[in-house]
Amino acid sequence: MNKDQDPLPPASTRDPMPSGEPAEAAIQDAAGELRHRIASQFGRSLHIRTLDTGSCAVCEQEIRLLTAPHYDLHRLGFFFTPAPRHADLLLVTGPMIRAFDVAARKTYEAMPGPKIVVATGACALGGVYQADAFVHGSVGEVLPVDVWIPGCPPSPFALLQGLLVAVGRLYEKVSSLPFEVAG
Amino acid sequence: MTLWFLRGLSRGVVTTRYPARPDQATALLPTPPAFRPGAIGPEEADQLAALCPSRALKREGAELVFDAGACTACGRCEQASPAVRESGHFELAATSRRDLVKRIPLKPEAGR
Repeated sequence: MNKDQDPLPPASTRDPMPSGEPAEAAIQDAAGELRHRIASQFGRSLHIRTLDTGSCAVCEQEIRLLTAPHYDLHRLGFFFTPAPRHADLLLVTGPMIRAFDVAARKTYEAMPGPKIVVATGACALGGVYQADAFVHGSVGEVLPVDVWIPGCPPSPFALLQGLLVAVGRLYEKVSSLPFEVAG
Repeated sequence: MTLWFLRGLSRGVVTTRYPARPDQATALLPTPPAFRPGAIGPEEADQLAALCPSRALKREGAELVFDAGACTACGRCEQASPAVRESGHFELAATSRRDLVKRIPLKPEAGR
């Protein structure tokens, strides 16, 4: 797929990378400004299209629970849409089976820009299945992923946090977590 | 319901911020492991890596590399080693895949 047509820069240039080069710093500034503009556009209303690329459907159960009163996704301005042409955010689950290549590409290309891709669950992040003849093993192999939500499955709270990170209303915490315990 | 209606009328706000309050159910969620730095030897690290069903753990030299994105929070490493316990973190969304890969220092060889 041609990622150059996407108005967003590829995910790799938006990563906060420690680099002393001024050109990269300028790219970081531009990417930060673009991210801010997208966040201000999406901050109050965002439509989500889910894409199941071979998941076991437990991620889908958790996604479905987001609309339950306890989590109440709609109060935060998120809505699910069945049409990729109406979607701002692609919520991808599963290890990206190769049989789904054409459908994944068509879904991504049908979405209007700017668009956000969120990989959901350990499979989509490359944890459970290795790349072989049947699966790519990670959503990042095929689509330019903006936000990664770990969990097997991620709880609705984790999904909510991931969606809010995607629109810039919450900041990610995990980059500062060491996963070390004392004692 | 009536209280919420009156509250919304009086304050002009009918919704709450996220999160409105800590949720009790989150204490029951399985969470990825956290490791005691410098407490796991290289051999034990290899054993933990072999035990992990989702390839979230591997040893690189004197470091245990933990991929929180690949972890399914199954708890096998927590049962196998006293230096591993639940981290309690589950809201782990990241904008960079590399931020999810954590490096834990192992027990130095000379100290064994």
